Amino acid sequence: MPEPIRTILEKHSREPDELIPILQDVQKEYGYISAESVKGISKYLRISENTIYGVSSFYAQFRFTEPGRHSVKVCLGTACHVRGGATLLEMLERGLGVHCGETTEDKRFGLERVACLGCCALSPVVQIDKEIFSRMTVNRLTEQLKEYE
Amino acid sequence: MNKLKKKINLAKKKWEEFVDNREPIIYVGAASCGRAAGALDLLSDINRFIEESKVKAKVVEVGCIGPCYLEPLIDVKMPGEPRVSYNNVTAKTLQNILKAHFQEGIPFARAAIGHFGSDSYHGIPRFYDLPMLKPQVRIVLRNCGLINPEDIDQYLAVDGYQGLMKALQMSPDDVIGVVRQAGLRGRGGAGFPTFKKWTVCRNAPGEQKYLICNADEGDPGAFMNRSLIESDPHAVLEGMLIAAYAIGASKGIIYIRAEYPLAIERLKTAIAQMREYGLLGTKILGSNFSFDIKIKEGAGAFVCGEETALIGSIEGKRGMPKSRPPFPAISGLHGCPTIINNVESLGTLPNILRNGAEWYTKYGKEGNRGTKTFSLVGKIRRPGLIEVQLGTPLREIIFDIGGGVQKTFKAIQTGGPSGGCLSEEFLDLPVDYESLASVGSIMGSGGLIVMDEDTCIVDVAKYFLDFTQKESCGKCVPCRVGTRHMVELLDKITHGEGTPDDLLSLRTLGDTIKKGALCGLGQTAPNPVLTTLRYFRNEYLEHIKDQRCRATVCKDLIEYRVIKEKCTGCQSCVRVCPTGAITGPRSEPHNLDVTKCIKCRSCYEICRFDAIAGDAIVIRTAEKKS
Amino acid sequence: MTREKKLKVTIDSRELEVRPNTTILQAARESDVYIPSLCTLEHLPSYGACRLCIVEVDGLRGYPTSCTTPVEEGMVIRTDTSELRSLRQEILKLLLSEHPASCLFCEEHDECKEFQGTIRKVGVTTGCRYCPNDARCELQEITEKVGLTETSYPVYYRGFPVEKYDPFYDRDYNLCILCGRCVRVCNSVRLNGTLSFKQRGKLTTIGPAFDRTHLEAGCEFCGACVSVCPTGVLSTKVSKWYGKPDSQVATTCVYCPVGCRLELQLKNNEVIDALPDYDSPVDQGLLCVKGRFAIPEYILSPERLGTPSRLTPVGYEVISWDQAIDEAAGRLRGTKPEESLVVVSPQLSNEDLFVAQQFTRQVLGSDSMISSVMVDLGNDLVPFLELAAGGSTFDTIEGARGILTVGFDSTYGYSPVGTRIKKAAQEGALLVTLGACDSNLDMLSETAFQMDHSRWAEFLGVLADYQARGGGKGKLKARKEWTDDIERISRAFSDSSTNILVVGPEAIFSRARREVFEKARVLRDKLGWKIIIAHPYTNLLGMLAMGAFPGVKPGECLREGTSVTLSFPLIDLTKRKKVVYFIGEGRFDMLPDCDYLIYQNGLPPATSRQPDLILPASLFTESSGTTTNGEGRVLKIEKATEPFMDAKSDWWILSRIAEKMNKGKLKYKDVAGVQTVIKRQVKGFYDSRRRIGFARINAEETTKWLKGAPNQEWEGSGAGKNPSYRGIPLARVVAGMKVVDEWVNTSLLSEKEAR
Repeated sequence: MPEPIRTILEKHSREPDELIPILQDVQKEYGYISAESVKGISKYLRISENTIYGVSSFYAQFRFTEPGRHSVKVCLGTACHVRGGATLLEMLERGLGVHCGETTEDKRFGLERVACLGCCALSPVVQIDKEIFSRMTVNRLTEQLKEYE
Repeated sequence: MNKLKKKINLAKKKWEEFVDNREPIIYVGAASCGRAAGALDLLSDINRFIEESKVKAKVVEVGCIGPCYLEPLIDVKMPGEPRVSYNNVTAKTLQNILKAHFQEGIPFARAAIGHFGSDSYHGIPRFYDLPMLKPQVRIVLRNCGLINPEDIDQYLAVDGYQGLMKALQMSPDDVIGVVRQAGLRGRGGAGFPTFKKWTVCRNAPGEQKYLICNADEGDPGAFMNRSLIESDPHAVLEGMLIAAYAIGASKGIIYIRAEYPLAIERLKTAIAQMREYGLLGTKILGSNFSFDIKIKEGAGAFVCGEETALIGSIEGKRGMPKSRPPFPAISGLHGCPTIINNVESLGTLPNILRNGAEWYTKYGKEGNRGTKTFSLVGKIRRPGLIEVQLGTPLREIIFDIGGGVQKTFKAIQTGGPSGGCLSEEFLDLPVDYESLASVGSIMGSGGLIVMDEDTCIVDVAKYFLDFTQKESCGKCVPCRVGTRHMVELLDKITHGEGTPDDLLSLRTLGDTIKKGALCGLGQTAPNPVLTTLRYFRNEYLEHIKDQRCRATVCKDLIEYRVIKEKCTGCQSCVRVCPTGAITGPRSEPHNLDVTKCIKCRSCYEICRFDAIAGDAIVIRTAEKKS
Repeated sequence: MTREKKLKVTIDSRELEVRPNTTILQAARESDVYIPSLCTLEHLPSYGACRLCIVEVDGLRGYPTSCTTPVEEGMVIRTDTSELRSLRQEILKLLLSEHPASCLFCEEHDECKEFQGTIRKVGVTTGCRYCPNDARCELQEITEKVGLTETSYPVYYRGFPVEKYDPFYDRDYNLCILCGRCVRVCNSVRLNGTLSFKQRGKLTTIGPAFDRTHLEAGCEFCGACVSVCPTGVLSTKVSKWYGKPDSQVATTCVYCPVGCRLELQLKNNEVIDALPDYDSPVDQGLLCVKGRFAIPEYILSPERLGTPSRLTPVGYEVISWDQAIDEAAGRLRGTKPEESLVVVSPQLSNEDLFVAQQFTRQVLGSDSMISSVMVDLGNDLVPFLELAAGGSTFDTIEGARGILTVGFDSTYGYSPVGTRIKKAAQEGALLVTLGACDSNLDMLSETAFQMDHSRWAEFLGVLADYQARGGGKGKLKARKEWTDDIERISRAFSDSSTNILVVGPEAIFSRARREVFEKARVLRDKLGWKIIIAHPYTNLLGMLAMGAFPGVKPGECLREGTSVTLSFPLIDLTKRKKVVYFIGEGRFDMLPDCDYLIYQNGLPPATSRQPDLILPASLFTESSGTTTNGEGRVLKIEKATEPFMDAKSDWWILSRIAEKMNKGKLKYKDVAGVQTVIKRQVKGFYDSRRRIGFARINAEETTKWLKGAPNQEWEGSGAGKNPSYRGIPLARVVAGMKVVDEWVNTSLLSEKEAR
């Protein structure tokens, strides 16, 4: 088992309740859930790899492929929808040449949608890495993306 | 308990010193929304200013006071002066504000929105007299934006944990009695009387009982819980202690969305402080009550707001709801009696315990006691977080508090994706559980989304259905398959390909899902469609019969045009058009080739953005298809 | 036990008394009230997903599902109101919009029925026959019962490719209605965790992690998912196009000593499938891959021997049974006792074994009778038999608090034992696995020890020492690297009231087995452990009881409370024999040089030594009898079909040869005749109320009795890893078993390389 995953596992007890917190930690560390991680978790928690995959694929948070260097999350909450969030997403899909949930070929951006970032009064919002940008427009977003390598 | 009392006295002294400040205090509204509006940049500007101009001042990060449309908000309180609030602060106005206060000794009245003093002050109105705040009754939100959420002493100073102390002096049954008398109903949506659920759990056999705080605020467009936790975490935690004591739980779990990192951080800080103060652990405040709290982050599944799915998720399973009975109050987490209360219900408890049931019943109306927080968003002038008495008419919320809509009011969606979409005729409907249910909507957790003439009702219905469809866990047939058919039909209609029969199918499907689905998510999923079919039937028919979307939203039913008279030929739109649909030499009106246009909106936005011609590009209803 | 007080409920205006602690659906079914339901199934936890079993209950909001709602005293339930009927129809319509339904609603349905026979196996594009489950589909049944005659919604054909790359069964998830039966049976009954729901909402699918095949995902191929699927998603490759079986016959599987009950499915006098019986006490329906999937292909193998034949210089010549009996009798008559050798299979029935030993002793006048178990175990046979005869029943696992397995893996065999162990571990028993490589039980074990075979006995020794000394007094004589672990484990086992040791094939076929057997005996005799020996010799205990070992008389080992010393006469395989007679055995590695070879079996051997006389034998589905399982239960084998072509039962062939050679002896006409004699000679053998009990075998016996045994392939040798029936590896005739074998071998190899 690679060291980091062992370190993650040892922070948790071996109860099945810890499955999702462990997956969250693994994703925080590696950016995604690899087959190898699933194997390690399976042995530790005594839950089959298939079950772990079944659980993790249920939740929108977990991904199974390597993420891009920057994550772009478009909020599609109601307020954002009413104020054009979907247009932003579409523009991004076209501009970056990927679908939602995918990573650009150069691994620069990973595009995702989120149900709601809770900043509805400032809609539409887009989150790039940890920063939330409010009252976004197609053109401002295009400019903003240029700042990321 | 005496130890805490000493701490409280100390805290109060500290607070008094804090309020009668000898040093200037600068408050920065730094909840998630404030941060998104740029509060953190302002914060560093303020620190730089203090350092450079060598003035003495305290900088305090506070939570959200509610009027999000004013973000970012900065308050300045000079010694002996009232606290002055500034709205929509930019880097430039910030400098002016700071200069005015620190160098000129007066407020920068031009940019101020309100002050917290009692008398008039430099022509600035009182903050609570602002039209958005005046009609509100702030019980749950009483501390939001006013105290430092990361400082337990400030919470103690404003009578924090008094409710708990009162509760611990009563028997658990008496605590339940108080809550019963107060008439508190679950603020998570269904409005089930809190005391009833508690009584079942209290009487259920079992050594181990759990209390879960449901902070999985999944409704898109709702952020009451996030704001409350970010701005006053101790209120929720105190509520948890009270609830746990009443039902006999020794373990508490806060199930919170991972999308709320700041709220999680603040909870963690608060929990650590509680431990330090003896408010968690064994024998809390010298009583026989022991309790501990764990935070579990959700992993992105709306359905986990449903009690049984939430429990499954905590147990490390797929968040798929289970049929009830058995109810969680009897057999919940790990098969033990479990109570799941919403953040707001818990945040209300300390107030009820502290002030008594009778005090609480002064608010609201028979059967719908107390207040409810709402996130008021959408096409409204003053979006934000508000708290009103139950029974307040929609009109008052939308027009008095929210300042009305910019264009013409069309509809309001209550209860998030599970709620209903109400038209103008219901503006005088009092907002209470029964009234909303009577018109096919629900209270929900408190999202209010206002729509104007630019919002297409069919599109909104499709949006909500698409949301629930994507969030359906897939377990039961009506929800998994039924919502899918509904989305397809709505999609057909927004493309101008619907038939009148589709409306009938939508009704039948909605009915089947409502009656047949396993859980609350499924059973309420058709509400947006069923209500809009009822109250906005004409708009559906327009899409179907005339292929017309009057809000110019449905892409297949609109087109973009250049108004030659207004176009200056600046070529901005030519540059942004991804398909080369717009052509034309500089300084001459451009041409837009409708067949190439993919309706991406870039030209429309750039035209307004550069503001040379202003609005030469328009979106309008397409010619009726032949 | 006090009698449960019945509850009074009203169902559809009928006042009924129902058992408490049941769901409304169970109560209704027990009272003959029909409520449609697709996702519910007996033995599976209720799920509440299909929503067809909705009812109305006074005092309960909405339409609760009867499969999840417990009955309560005084409940008033309505199951068939017009509201419910139309709601069910609507829900079923939705369900069917995810499931191609031309078999239900096609306009040409009636007209084309006659021609369907010819258009089977055609693809989706050409139409109707995409579903192998026609006429045995629960969805069809329910549609009729719910009264749905048309559907108004478009069908979402999901367009998944049919998954055919795994052995034994195909999967067409386009037909899946996500009722979750397969997921539940895999996880809650088999505790295997191969199948899981993946994704969510309309994207929900079923399968293993990532895009793994079932083989890669650790599937046991127990076929439980196939049996429970209400539609045609999962279908057995071999039998999928046979349609609905004509009848079924309950029998016992003879592939291993567990003795699982099988429901053989018959069509046109052929065995086409074998299903589990969840009510069987021995195996609880927990069949392994062999019983579930490896029977029809073996029985119906194109290689089956169908007529007696004789080797001539120009090849085999088909002869009649009379000629064959004459030939065999003639050869045997002129042979001295020491010049002949009889080889019997441990997979024969008790009756066949009894007749075989009678034949050897009374007709040939010899005692030179060997079997694979003797050759495989060699001079370790006696201690092995001692343990096997003193083993515990499988249900002791259920009450065990501590379980230690040594070299045991139940992925492809011994599933009823393995699954019970898993269940016990899941319910809190301490499980420790000891092996040279990964085991499927590691998943649920407290600690999985991996070490070379040579150290297993030492490990057991330390454990026994610790316990014998009553815990921590004195220094633990263990290797440094395990002191912590073994101390913890030893303490846990010492504290446990009931411990079980399961010795698996890896241990039985390891070089260090003798020491392992010895330590196992210490644990059992000194410390009260229960032992289960998971060996592959199906009717081993029957052989002991019937006296199918040289030097062991029928019934001799069955005197409980006495002790018996097994002394085998010297058998020398290096000496050339005149005649060797293989009865139901196909392993030629134990064949000594001989002048004349009689081969009596169902399938030809894979060897260059051609038998001189071939006698086609019927297999266990073709003749009746009994077998003795590893617990000592005598279980019935039921004849399901007529034998293949001219094949005959082993006892019949032996009797006829005996008659010919020695008038008057072994004149058996039927199995009952054999059983009468057994009853006389082996007292209490057929007493079905109890297991047969054995005398204590003196295990100190160490005489070397075998000379010239074939070379053993140690470490994962043939008998354990590559299962066979009557000496023919299942992988040779069952396509899927070949895939499984290859998988086991390659994964073993890669594991070895990784180490």
